[in-house]
Amino acid sequence: MKADLDFRPEMFEVADKTDLNVDKIRRPSIKFWPDVWRRLKMNKLAMLGLTLIIAMIVMAFIGVKLSGYTYFEQNLKLRNTHPNMEFWFGTDELGRDMFTRVWYGARYSLAIGVIAAFIDFVIGITYGGIAGISSRRVDAIMMRVAEVIYSIPYLLIVILLSVVLTQEGGGSSMFVLILAMSLTGWVPMAILVRGQVLQLKESEYSLASESLGATKSWILKKHIFPNTLGPILVNVTLTIPRAIFAEATLGFLGLGLQAPMSSLGTLANDGLAGLAVGNAYQIIIPAIFISLIMFSFNVLGDGLRDALDPRLRK
Amino acid sequence: MEKILEVKDLAVSFKTFFGEVEAVRGISFEVGKKETVAIVGESGCGKSVTANSIMQLLPMPPAFFKNGEILFNGENLLSKSEKEMQNIRGNHIAMIFQDPMTSLNPTMKVGKQIVEGLIKHHGLKHHDAKKKAIEMLDLVAVPQPEKRIEQYPHEFSGGMRQRVMIALAMISDPQLLIADEPTTALDVTVQAQILDLMKSLQERLDMSIILITHDLGVVADTSDKVVVMYAGQIVEQGLTDEIFKETAHPYTQKLLASVPRLDMNRDEALLSIEGTPPDLYIPPKGCAFYDRCDKAMKICKDNMPGFTEHSATHASRCWLNHPMAKTNEGSGI
Amino acid sequence: MQEPLISVKNLKKHFDVGKDAVLKAVDGISFDIYPGETFGLVGESGCGKSTAGRTLIRLYDPTDGEVIFNGKNIFTLSRNQMSEVRRNFQMIFQDPYASLNPRMTVLDIISEPLEIHQIYKSKKEMKARVIELLELVGLNDEHAMRFPHEFSGGQRQRIGIARALALNPKFIVCDEPISALDVSIQAQVVNLLKDLQEKLGLTYMFIAHDLSMVRYISDRVGVMYLGHMMELAESEELYDNPLHPYTKALLSAIPIPNPDIQRSRQRIILEGDVPSPINPKEGCRFVDRCSYAIDKCRNVTPEFEEVRPGHFAACHRIGEI
Repeated sequence: MKADLDFRPEMFEVADKTDLNVDKIRRPSIKFWPDVWRRLKMNKLAMLGLTLIIAMIVMAFIGVKLSGYTYFEQNLKLRNTHPNMEFWFGTDELGRDMFTRVWYGARYSLAIGVIAAFIDFVIGITYGGIAGISSRRVDAIMMRVAEVIYSIPYLLIVILLSVVLTQEGGGSSMFVLILAMSLTGWVPMAILVRGQVLQLKESEYSLASESLGATKSWILKKHIFPNTLGPILVNVTLTIPRAIFAEATLGFLGLGLQAPMSSLGTLANDGLAGLAVGNAYQIIIPAIFISLIMFSFNVLGDGLRDALDPRLRK
Repeated sequence: MEKILEVKDLAVSFKTFFGEVEAVRGISFEVGKKETVAIVGESGCGKSVTANSIMQLLPMPPAFFKNGEILFNGENLLSKSEKEMQNIRGNHIAMIFQDPMTSLNPTMKVGKQIVEGLIKHHGLKHHDAKKKAIEMLDLVAVPQPEKRIEQYPHEFSGGMRQRVMIALAMISDPQLLIADEPTTALDVTVQAQILDLMKSLQERLDMSIILITHDLGVVADTSDKVVVMYAGQIVEQGLTDEIFKETAHPYTQKLLASVPRLDMNRDEALLSIEGTPPDLYIPPKGCAFYDRCDKAMKICKDNMPGFTEHSATHASRCWLNHPMAKTNEGSGI
Repeated sequence: MQEPLISVKNLKKHFDVGKDAVLKAVDGISFDIYPGETFGLVGESGCGKSTAGRTLIRLYDPTDGEVIFNGKNIFTLSRNQMSEVRRNFQMIFQDPYASLNPRMTVLDIISEPLEIHQIYKSKKEMKARVIELLELVGLNDEHAMRFPHEFSGGQRQRIGIARALALNPKFIVCDEPISALDVSIQAQVVNLLKDLQEKLGLTYMFIAHDLSMVRYISDRVGVMYLGHMMELAESEELYDNPLHPYTKALLSAIPIPNPDIQRSRQRIILEGDVPSPINPKEGCRFVDRCSYAIDKCRNVTPEFEEVRPGHFAACHRIGEI
């Protein structure tokens, strides 16, 4: 027994516990998404990525207006001007302002990434969701079809499509690019959604809902869909940079957007020529921006995955 | 009795995002030679952390030792290097788990796993090791051991896997076996088999056992001594008979009264312990059981009781043991 | 004799698990459940007790058999007619962590059955009902807006009970409702179930592997082994005078938390494990582990017969052992 305590008889009276609520929860209530956001905020790298993404989106809209030059205005006297106070990123071989062209390109790159990811998302969720709730046979057929589609290299599709749908002067339209990427790009999303649906369909809370008299569509809407949202969101975040990179690759190979439209990929392609004649900045600058976009989306996606992981909760 | 293991004032905490969780808060107990000591308590009471501390299997960080020592044959395990610990884990202390798959390699034939252990520990030749492996499976009562050593763990049932895991643990002739809820995942008829097996191995191999469980029936069945843990502390310890018959701590009393027994009348009310154990993010200042105790007194809320010895082997941590408590009604222990 | 609330006749549930492999989880069991009683169903893992409970309320499509409720076989009811039955049949699940959707608040979880069956017109009325239900299980309106992960296991199980009570059911299947809980919490939940039964006149089917708990809560108990019912009797009778060798072994295997009794007990320790329920052979399912087995046991499946009034068993050697 502790010696330093001054014992008095009243200390040994029965304790008054009328105020005590044994079922009271002391920790504050945190809703799911705010909690995810709270944990995401703790991840410095993911927050850096998010900040960069927002900054680049803003610049894609206002950056093109800042320098006072347009993306198509040529000034042959100022060809290949290295970066300076007037032209922050220099000019290209036709004397166009690179600063404006980079943001203009970023706008298209981001747009292509977001639109392609959105299309993947819509098709993937629908297809995967249907496969997941259908009978085993329908599911098996749908998955085999998806695998066949996925096995076609998208590069082949782009080349074929650009031959068929090509515009004058070479290059592809944004429509062709997005179409080509989405033709195969939705498959991973569909597989992910199907797996989630299959798993959640068997979950005890879906079963509980069924025992309460719920229909299939009710269970899908109330239980399965809300619980797949997390992994889907991560996947979308990681699809965007993949699409942007795919577009950049195509652009670099000369299959990208048609001039004078530009994306970061076609800018890099244009800049390739400059590399040999001492104008490396023409390729380095778009390359840096491609990398930045890739980096930002990837760290954000990883951060989201960690923030959504129930095992890392608390 | 000769002591094999002595845990003194052990305190283990986990660093988490919100702060420190005091999982084990200063516990002391001893394990004698050939003795079976049961550690009983609810999930989160610190019993598994204690076991993993002895084996030093806790992930560090987030876990860290705050205080205390663990003496195994007089040597402090907490000051051993990882290499020395590996030797001890391999040769002197063995551990079995609730889920046998944690210690079985799913891609390796059962026989090969035992054979490799035998070669490593006893330097046997492959041929001899194989013969010994069959003997060991026989020892843990796996039928048709010659056939079974050629099979993979997934071809075994839950009870059989548990036997294989015990065989693996026996390879090194350990002096101490730590069994962490070894029968919780098993059916009652298989549980009886495994408990029986552990008892007979103990007699044959002169082993001490620390049995971690939440099942008081299993405790009554197998143990010599019982340590009751609650919220990271030992609240009562003593010989099995003392714990069951001269129960001193209100928590132990309620725990015993809250399990239905086969020999109990169906009209008898089942006592329930309202509420839940405290969150060890913020350990209570006083007695941890205060919130759920019917006999709580004013002193209990903010003052931690110390141990009172009821006999040489039996002690409990409760203010009701204080001489002044006797003057109040409701104090009868 | 009282009319049964539910009459189960020759219930079967088989699963196809591959080429020519049929898992006979439940293989022809029959029993009655009377209004206001607790019918316990015990057995080891894989004996089919949970499948029986789930098939009984038509969560799984039955392979064969009938379940008579209100004079009708519920297996032949249409979707619409079944919806009415659903309101009377509810279920409490084993895992209080998995059976509550982590994205829903307690309010949403408990109001789900009310919404599905469109019981209330206004949100306000519905919320009042939810709070009434929460109070019934010892929680209160403070808990309504919280999420399942904020609760302890026992509290979650109480939320699951509140959800099952929302539609004023007559019959609740409790599928191992306490086996995932700590000892000190189990008693809370069992006492709550008993209270509610008295207050609301509920009938339970209590599925568990913990025989001492089943004995405590049940009026009558059925013992299952590999898809067959081995023995069925009133609780006291079954535990005092078990007839089937399997029941005897099962009872003897439970450790009693009393060192004196435990040490002096004569125990039957069964050899081996529960065999696989895939393509079981004709004959008594327990034959391989039974020390009393004779040739007849291997060839002829014993009938499930009333040996004494209200005491049924399926064993060829009942009179002899």
